[in-house]
Amino acid sequence: MQRLSLAFLVLFMVMFCGTGFAAAKKKPLKVITDTSKISARHFDQKALDKYKADKDFDYSGQSIGKPSLWQRFWDWVWYQIGRLFNSIPFSGTALKYFFAVLAVAFLAFVIFKSLGIDPITFWRGEAAKVAVPYSESLEDIHGIDFDAEIERAVAQHNFRLAVRLLYLKCLKQLSDKDLIQWQPDKTNTAYISELTAPEQKRVFGLLTRQFEFVWYGNFAINKQAYTNIDMLFTDFKKQLP
Amino acid sequence: MEDEIFAQRTDLSGLSRAVEQIKATLSTIIVGQHDSIDLLIAGILADGHVLIEGVPGVAKTLTAKLIAKSIDAKYSRIQFTPDLMPSDILGTSVFNPKTTEFEFKHGPIFGNIILIDEINRAPAKTQSALFEVMEERQLTMDGTAYKMDEPFIVLATQNPVEHEGTYRLPEAQLDRFLFKIEVKYPTLDEEIAVITQQHNQKTADQLGHVKPVLSAHEIVTLRQVVKNLHVEDKLVVYVAQIVHESRSNKSLYLGGSPRASLAIVNAAKAIAAIKGRDFVTPDDIAYVAAPVLRHRIMLTPDKEMEGVTPDDVIAQIIHKIEVPR
Repeated sequence: MQRLSLAFLVLFMVMFCGTGFAAAKKKPLKVITDTSKISARHFDQKALDKYKADKDFDYSGQSIGKPSLWQRFWDWVWYQIGRLFNSIPFSGTALKYFFAVLAVAFLAFVIFKSLGIDPITFWRGEAAKVAVPYSESLEDIHGIDFDAEIERAVAQHNFRLAVRLLYLKCLKQLSDKDLIQWQPDKTNTAYISELTAPEQKRVFGLLTRQFEFVWYGNFAINKQAYTNIDMLFTDFKKQLP
Repeated sequence: MEDEIFAQRTDLSGLSRAVEQIKATLSTIIVGQHDSIDLLIAGILADGHVLIEGVPGVAKTLTAKLIAKSIDAKYSRIQFTPDLMPSDILGTSVFNPKTTEFEFKHGPIFGNIILIDEINRAPAKTQSALFEVMEERQLTMDGTAYKMDEPFIVLATQNPVEHEGTYRLPEAQLDRFLFKIEVKYPTLDEEIAVITQQHNQKTADQLGHVKPVLSAHEIVTLRQVVKNLHVEDKLVVYVAQIVHESRSNKSLYLGGSPRASLAIVNAAKAIAAIKGRDFVTPDDIAYVAAPVLRHRIMLTPDKEMEGVTPDDVIAQIIHKIEVPR
């Protein structure tokens, strides 16, 4: 222990002497006098008066008026909330944790939304539905006077168009009786599969084939063929409830 | 009844007979997978290449081999591996000391039906070797262009890209496939049928009894028939609307190309022919839209994270567009 103390003493003396030696080697300090001219500047009295007159710069607290009605309302709301939670035991800690969780949840919600992810579907682990705006039908079957249009098409010997109108009329009849759900995006096969009664399904399948041959297949159709097809549609209508 | 009113314009009896024969042959070995088989036949009739994707063990390769065996044409099989080089597929020039000239040795790509097994096990460098031959049906090597014999069909199988040791195929190559067929697991009844069928089989060689039902020449003829099928103008517009919508859809980073539009029309014609019609209906278009588009479109990263699939988006696009009627 004595040896250790001696060692520290020697080390201290060496460092102290070293510093003193270094200081002794420095050049003597020279005092430099500032001879530059100093011109005193004064506050602009007018500006001072202006600031003094401005209420925003009055920090004395005397000019603060009474709180507005809106402010008083919020003060009351916060007071009531505080009183409500203060009446619950351990509400201070519980409230702290509650608001912390709420803040984290809100932050997570904001992050998910900014990434364009639906947090609910992400949490459930299911594939989200892609939201695609539905385009309105260019031709609403419920807004067509079929009988008049068919009559006109037949008068013009446009039997292709007449068969098309017969088919659309048939779809409308099925839709009116809630046998199919009319949607402009559905294909004809989709409507066939919606029918539940086997005979209706069979006959409507046949009518669909007729329509497809005429309308998509561009088959030539004369008055006799049209009359036959028209009869099939009329018979089908009689089958409907 | 329609036969009484509408006379058949195009003779599709030969095609229907051939399709039925192929289906009958395949059904003796493959259980279920009716849509996959229809699409494979449609791919052949529409002069397109077909990519079959599925997890290991769902008979992807077996289905492709059966289709290849049912056609009497030159068949090659290439197993894609990570160390496969382009010259291993296309061929290479070899010096002949007798003639003191380089001779081109044809690679396995020279054939009519090429089965590329596990195509996504080879890296992009090797995949790129297929670009020209798949699109232009020719191969340029050392300044000489080699035309492929007709029909030239690539049937490729792949595991889903998430699997170990697989590479994502370049978009340019994916676009060259007419269809991407997704082979799913069989249903319970189908699985029972698979086991029973395998158990009752007396020989180990499943494909031994498969006989060709179509020649290469017949396929070329049938393709011409399919090509001439009628497509109404309003249905052309319908196809264009579907593909156009895929380009502006917010869920998609990459939409369908004009090649995709052509592919939908050609594929719809083939499906119509398989169903015995000489004209296309909106049902044919809706049926082929997903297999044609699903490998050509790319989801946005956020939709991918949400678990949305390309098929979901395609279905939404189709539902958005009014069927011409």
